[in-house]
Amino acid sequence: MSQVISRLVLGILIPILSTASTAVESAAVDFVRDVQPVFVERCIDCHGPETAKAGLRLDGSAAVTLGGDSGRVIVPHDSAASELMRRIRGDVPEDRMPPKGEPLSREEISAIAAWIDAGAVWPAEADSTEGTVSDHWAFHEPERPELPAVERKDWVRNPIDAFVLARLESEGLTPSPEADPITLLRRLHLDLTGLPPTPEEVEAFVDDTSPHAYENLVNRLLASPHFGERWGRHWLDLARYADSDGYEKDTVRPYAYRYRDWVIDALNRDMPYDQFVVEQLAGDVLPNATVDQKVATGFHRNTLTNREGGIDPEEDRSKIAIDRVNTTASVFLGLTMGCAQCHTHKYDPITQREYYGMYSFFNRTIEQDIPAPVAGEMEAYKQQKQRFDAEVARLKNAIAEQRPALEERLPEWEATLELPENGWQVLDADSYVSAGGATFTELDDQSLLVEGFNPLTDQYTVVTRIQDIGIKAIRLEALTHEDLTNSGPGRAHNGNLVLNEFKVYAAPIREAHDKTPVKIASATADFEEPEHTIDQSIDGDTNTGWAIYRELNMNEDRTATFVLEEELGDPTGLVLTFELDQRYGRQHTIGRFRLSVTKDDPGSLSLPDDVFAALNVPAEARTDEQKDVVLDYYAQIDPEMSGLMQTLAAVENTAPQPPATKAQTLADNPEPPKNYLFIRGDFLQKGDEVPAHMPAVLNEFVPRTEDADRLDLAEWIVDPANPLTARVQANRVWQYLFGQGIVTTPEDFGTRCEPPTHPALLDWLATEYMARGWSTKDMIRLIVTSATYRQSSDSTPDLQERDPMNRLLARQNRFRVEAEIVRDACLSVSGLLNRGVGGPSVRPPLPSGVADLGYANSVKWNESSAPEKYRRGLYILFQRTVPYPMLMNFDCPDSNTSVSRRERSNTPLQALNVLNSPVFFEAAQALGTRIMTEGPADDEGRIRWAFETCLAREPGDAELARLVTYVNDQRALFESRNEAAVRFAVDGDPETNPEHEAATWVALARVLINLDEFLTRE
Amino acid sequence: MNPEVGRRLQSRRDFLTTAASGVGGLALASMLRQDGYLAEAAVSDDVTNPLRPRPPHFEPRAKACIFIFMAGAPSQIDLFDEKPVLLEQDGKPLPESFTENVRFAFIQKDTAVIKGSHRKFSNHGECGMRLSELLPHIGTCADDLCLIRSMHTEAFNHHPGQTMMNTGVMTFGRPVMGSWLTYGLGSESQDLPGYVVLTAGRGTSGGASNWTSGFLPSTYEGVLFRNSGEPVLNLNSPADLPHDCQRLGLDVVRDLNQMRYEQTYDPEILSRIGSYELAYRMQSAAPDLIDFSDESEATLAMYGVDRREGEQWKSLRSGGPDEFQTFAANCLLARRMVERGVRFINIYHATWDHHDNLDKRLEFNCKMCDQPVAALIKDLKQRGLLDSTMVVWGGEFGRTPLGENRAGFREPNTGRDHHPYAFSMFAAGGGFKGGVTYGETDEFGWNIAKDPVHINDFHATALHLFGLDHEQLTYRYQGRDFRLTDVAGKVVTPLIA
Repeated sequence: MSQVISRLVLGILIPILSTASTAVESAAVDFVRDVQPVFVERCIDCHGPETAKAGLRLDGSAAVTLGGDSGRVIVPHDSAASELMRRIRGDVPEDRMPPKGEPLSREEISAIAAWIDAGAVWPAEADSTEGTVSDHWAFHEPERPELPAVERKDWVRNPIDAFVLARLESEGLTPSPEADPITLLRRLHLDLTGLPPTPEEVEAFVDDTSPHAYENLVNRLLASPHFGERWGRHWLDLARYADSDGYEKDTVRPYAYRYRDWVIDALNRDMPYDQFVVEQLAGDVLPNATVDQKVATGFHRNTLTNREGGIDPEEDRSKIAIDRVNTTASVFLGLTMGCAQCHTHKYDPITQREYYGMYSFFNRTIEQDIPAPVAGEMEAYKQQKQRFDAEVARLKNAIAEQRPALEERLPEWEATLELPENGWQVLDADSYVSAGGATFTELDDQSLLVEGFNPLTDQYTVVTRIQDIGIKAIRLEALTHEDLTNSGPGRAHNGNLVLNEFKVYAAPIREAHDKTPVKIASATADFEEPEHTIDQSIDGDTNTGWAIYRELNMNEDRTATFVLEEELGDPTGLVLTFELDQRYGRQHTIGRFRLSVTKDDPGSLSLPDDVFAALNVPAEARTDEQKDVVLDYYAQIDPEMSGLMQTLAAVENTAPQPPATKAQTLADNPEPPKNYLFIRGDFLQKGDEVPAHMPAVLNEFVPRTEDADRLDLAEWIVDPANPLTARVQANRVWQYLFGQGIVTTPEDFGTRCEPPTHPALLDWLATEYMARGWSTKDMIRLIVTSATYRQSSDSTPDLQERDPMNRLLARQNRFRVEAEIVRDACLSVSGLLNRGVGGPSVRPPLPSGVADLGYANSVKWNESSAPEKYRRGLYILFQRTVPYPMLMNFDCPDSNTSVSRRERSNTPLQALNVLNSPVFFEAAQALGTRIMTEGPADDEGRIRWAFETCLAREPGDAELARLVTYVNDQRALFESRNEAAVRFAVDGDPETNPEHEAATWVALARVLINLDEFLTRE
Repeated sequence: MNPEVGRRLQSRRDFLTTAASGVGGLALASMLRQDGYLAEAAVSDDVTNPLRPRPPHFEPRAKACIFIFMAGAPSQIDLFDEKPVLLEQDGKPLPESFTENVRFAFIQKDTAVIKGSHRKFSNHGECGMRLSELLPHIGTCADDLCLIRSMHTEAFNHHPGQTMMNTGVMTFGRPVMGSWLTYGLGSESQDLPGYVVLTAGRGTSGGASNWTSGFLPSTYEGVLFRNSGEPVLNLNSPADLPHDCQRLGLDVVRDLNQMRYEQTYDPEILSRIGSYELAYRMQSAAPDLIDFSDESEATLAMYGVDRREGEQWKSLRSGGPDEFQTFAANCLLARRMVERGVRFINIYHATWDHHDNLDKRLEFNCKMCDQPVAALIKDLKQRGLLDSTMVVWGGEFGRTPLGENRAGFREPNTGRDHHPYAFSMFAAGGGFKGGVTYGETDEFGWNIAKDPVHINDFHATALHLFGLDHEQLTYRYQGRDFRLTDVAGKVVTPLIA
């Protein structure tokens, strides 16, 4: 009893007692007897291995060492500071734990307090911390299932069918008959290449009487370069691919297509899926990574970039990293990790700490644009470069041959020279400081290199002493340097700078504090922007200034000369203070500079410094280097030599540029920032530091080294022990071939996902996928040759009632094709389609006014000309703020987030689009022309030809009759309305092909491309 | 209902017409039932027409909303939230306690100074609402206005801010308010889209993401009406094809689709037929909508449809000539759409992002919008539509009481920076209480002093007036039930009439 009382007292008094006095009492607490049972009975339902609310588990020592989402809840030896105590005591009633049932008893509370104050030791023998456990099917490795027994064995073409049939039979359903061959042909063409079969392809298939005609067709389509386009577009949805930054500025990314090309190519080559994953997540980390492998990391460069003024770069960086975590989880693992960004996942066993364990991989990632020439580009450059080098060498030889003669003429020229007396005297700075916090390094040439912190604005102050008189001018050289962005000379992103004010003060050396401004009479510069002239640096207005931007060759040394109003000097010495005020912002400051003074009239100082210095040395005393300097300079003005020199200069100006094509890639940050959990997901509220790790409920994460990187992450994802990766991708492959997945929520395999309709089939496919070396083409071949796939998609009233969503697969599905395919199919049958594969994005005609919706005319849409404008839909430049209207109309995702399944809407805007838009009307006109030129001469023949061209099949009798009636009615109407016909027809010919006739066939073409069946994969 | 089935049903976004409007829609639907192809229940209108009007959760006050979005963020200091202290302390720094731990987009904190407003405020209406001289016409509607001076948001930059005001969160991919409302309530319109977007001036930071349906089916996406050329993209038949020719083509498309349906029993085909018929009706309804010839001279004059901004404003125009006309016409169009059953209308105007030269630029923008917005409210009222039509006016955040002194700016302290901590917006009609001024800011207008209203709260209140419980209007996506108010929001009852 006394023990109980003392514990009780302890529990209440602990907040004000010192730890020393409590230690005595706590010896009496037995963790296993007094504390652990409380945790087990009252806490671990919510804070245990299956559910870890707020990321907290009280079933093992991690409770003490890690705590929950917001950090430690137990501070050993200090129950007063332990959040756990505050909660179980119910200091704030709403926060009391446990939230349900009776509060903990006083005895229990004081026992826990005493245990904490004794050091919160969790005895090893009582520490049974299990890994996170879950009985959710998707978190357990798929096992190879037995093939189920079925009655109709003759229907089974491969194991897939056994699984599907077994389920149908158990429901008392029978599969649909096989679709007719033409439907299958068109289905396969649309599913595998996204293009309808041409009449020739139809004919070839019909004529192929071999028993393997179907398999031959499948193999031919899998080998088609258009396969990569079709399946690549599926992947680009997941990769949130776009050709622009997004947000307000929405700058175009001209080289985003390099990643798209990589995807198309990888799929065409049937790159094993595990490699496909590894290269996209960590291609840059692979040993001896190739350019292509780095290009693959463009997957995560499709994140949005905010270039809006006034943003916090760290906020944008963390947003991007978070998007990369969420996208990685949903695309490769089918996990919706996003919730865990702010708190431990409510449904899935993923803690917030684990979220930031994964965040770590992208927290230490930086973006890098690398040269990535496309095929042929490098070879062409090398050839040009070779030719160029040869020509330069030839000219230089010629020049060298003439050098002795030149040397002979040199003294003659030197004799005519009137050298200025002093030239420029470079100042050696005594002190220098950057108001913005940058640092300076003095280089050998006495210039100052600005390094370190790069503030938005800056003011440099340079102090120097001179002992001289008669100084007439000051020179400021802004110099390039390899350490500067784009070589400088400025520190802005493009190397520009803005000098708002240049001020000079002088003081006698003995009274250095007595500074007086030195008046500058005028200023000149070797280059200035028309709107930002050098005059503006001495106009007393800090809002104006000198800048040096130009489109070509801006990264060169720049010189500004300031002529003084009065000669300056003091024989006893002067202290000169220079102030370089640079307030424009956005880091438009000077990156390297040097100051000089002269006693000469600055107009006479036309010779470069080094030439002037060399000429001041008597000819016989010059070093070889100085001799060359003089001779090189003279060569340019020598009347006999100058022609050759000019030719050389002209040739050098045509130097071929190395391939401009770049790729957006990831790279590892050489100085990775520390990785913290963000409390409530707020990047400003840093919680515990968290090492790289992966959710414990999945396969074990074993990094190559302690310093886990993205390659470890990728290898963990494609580890055969990972229960999700193969299932998620196999499910998607299935979805693209049936219109819905076995799990209908392909991005969410978590506990709240729709349970799979055919779990055993899914596991069979997943294990088969890995067994076949992750060959995606193999899996597609397997699925499309199954009897399940080959069923007719026609429904029946009975089926419709029993299984309206067709989850049991008693038939194929019938669905409208995707946005890009709507376009491709129309262009294809019209004969306009440009079938080129890969390359930069194109801008087909955009209705006027659409581009204006972008912010402040940021979107420029320079329409592509034919044949580029007839390329497939996936090559249309995707501008995030102004997406191409036709694509959006047909549910193309907006590319802001990863999308695993598209909507399939059916709207009047779609009808208007295909009926009326110029692109589709042009296709109808082209098809109309084809009908007349390529089809037979009679109406019925033409109708048949057009129908088969569009739909691959022959029209039925009723369909044909209806179309014949239509053509007659339409022709009659156009005859009575010739003006309308003239507008509608492409170009009629009054003799052979009157307008009303031409217009009628355009109208028929327009009818056919608007048919539901034309836009549908059956 | 099984959520996945529900989702798919919704995602059909079939425009298959209801009996009243469909050409053949009724016949097809009844044929289906006769054939026993679908049970009565299975051919619910939800399957065939996702925009069919749906009952709200409880009795609504509002049926339609006109959201006038002043993108770029108007200055509440110069329009709605009178702060004499700012003028008294003009040019002085703000007490440090205000700006501690505060971010700015462009202001240089160390040298920032207070910028007072020279705008004169006066009492309006019987309620005595204090409004700036820049809004004389809107002032005459004061007794119908519900002015909130205590709005706040987390967003700091334009695109995230506009996304926040439209979708309730700053991240992309969520549906906007207009999409949520048409998803929840459908549309009363038989031949126009349920959610229409009108713009004047230059583009907004958010572009088309400001009217995206996000993860909702694109049926619920805003349909942009255009200011020149055809009112809806691709509305006009190509090459001026006469109507009878268009009809002839549509007839054969319908007949062949129907034959295909009889083969496949795919209800999608019926939806396609419905879509084509609605498209055809839109071809005549939309031109009728934008034809103002049936409006009286007085109405046209009230909106100021023929106003020209005048040459003196040339340098301030942000969106090319005829901005005044376009904006006024958009206000009138909005009323005409409400009359035709359109559920949600956005009127966008950019830009109100006055980092410099605020006095002149704000005056220009107010001259543009004051008269037509007031006309819209009065016109709705005189037609008995204001009670059921919510008019909302506001931007994505507010502007600082400090002048902007951005580095390198030619004229510092003539503008204001972004201010998310406190800003103003107003609503009228649709169940909002008139003559109300709600919420207060501190003496500097920096923070909210009383009755804060977060954007989530505003959305919750607006949905409430439409008879919708913001916690019940959800959509399952990626394993989570999403809502317009994300994880927060409470109905602000004092705003409700």
